[in-house]
Amino acid sequence: MIAPYELHAPATAREALELLARHGEDAHLMAGGTSLVLLMKQGLVRPAHVVSLHRVGELRGITRSAEGWLEIGALATHREIERSPLVRAHCPMLAEAFAKIATVRIRNQATLGGNLAHADPAQDPPPALIVLAAEVLVLGPRGARAIPVEELSTDIFATSLGPGELIVGVRVPPLPAGARATYLKYLPRTEDDYATVSVAAAAVVGPDGTLPHVRIALGAVGPTPIRARSAEDALRGQRLDERLIAWAAALAAEATDPLDDARGSAGYKREMARVFTARALRALTGARP
Amino acid sequence: MDVPRVARCVPGVEAIEALGEDRYRGLLRISVGPIRLALAGEVAVTLKDEAAGIAGMRATAADKGAGGAVSADLRIEVRDGARPGTSELQITTDAQVMGRIGEFGQPIIKRKADQTMSEFAANLARAVAGAGAA
Repeated sequence: MIAPYELHAPATAREALELLARHGEDAHLMAGGTSLVLLMKQGLVRPAHVVSLHRVGELRGITRSAEGWLEIGALATHREIERSPLVRAHCPMLAEAFAKIATVRIRNQATLGGNLAHADPAQDPPPALIVLAAEVLVLGPRGARAIPVEELSTDIFATSLGPGELIVGVRVPPLPAGARATYLKYLPRTEDDYATVSVAAAAVVGPDGTLPHVRIALGAVGPTPIRARSAEDALRGQRLDERLIAWAAALAAEATDPLDDARGSAGYKREMARVFTARALRALTGARP
Repeated sequence: MDVPRVARCVPGVEAIEALGEDRYRGLLRISVGPIRLALAGEVAVTLKDEAAGIAGMRATAADKGAGGAVSADLRIEVRDGARPGTSELQITTDAQVMGRIGEFGQPIIKRKADQTMSEFAANLARAVAGAGAA
């Protein structure tokens, strides 16, 4: 049973912001609703007002700027991003990460903005977007701002979004020339599960085998997705070999703070973070994972 | 032992009321992101040994809207500290989460409980130290 609430369906982002300002804490935004409706059915979230964004056309669409940035509307579904010719051509790793989420039925309904606002630490898009240095575009009572995806999630289900703010989209800069990127999701139970751990990595491997650019992010290893900065520092400018991969993978695992749950104990997840970071790094060199 | 005063050191506790015979009724509000729970329940003192500096409590509470319940056993112990003139406060808890709240995420609630307990310990230590100085 869902507790009674008033449903609002604004036609524009501005109207949505006005509704948020009017109803404050009593209002909750809804995009695809795949997470919110479950939480409402369970009685865990009981908003008096639900502001559904389904009519707000300006939050849809995927485009590419002249400078090569991908601009993805908050209401783009996971399936649209997975299948977008622009995303597949210019950022195939991102399309692959979205293709790994849950099932087609869910991907047809769930949206990018909803995913980021929900801030479940086991979700797939955040680590992928973090290694791509993507930014969340936000509109609020004090105007527009951009938040690096890396700084969006602050705790389980908590974000750095201010009261009355709305995610309008995400922009993804082009990777440095020659960069490769990969997203690995470890699923020991079923194909449509949340990750036990996930690792996204992007790097430029120079002709001499050194790494002038490298970024690594992990999901499902703590209360928020994390960037493995100590591992990146150990790798940057170095020549990638098995010893360095092992060291960087150990540093990435050390940066995790996993929770025990049905997908594995904290210790197991930490170990899998090490294993999958090493595999991701090998994939970037073109070596067998 | 002043249970309402101890209980007020738990972040989110509201409206503690004595029912007699070492039992109390209270309300604990917890929020995790958009999730807000109002856990209404009772606290019973299960152990009180002032000479040894040990107290035990059992709390059970339920959220009406979410159809879930929480129970927790709490043991508070005050001992002489390592340095003379200091005391050490140890709090041990064993909490269970049942029903929909538990389904949604035992580990999430557990992390929240850990945060709540460490804030509780800090508040209690501050309250005790304040009382000692007064």
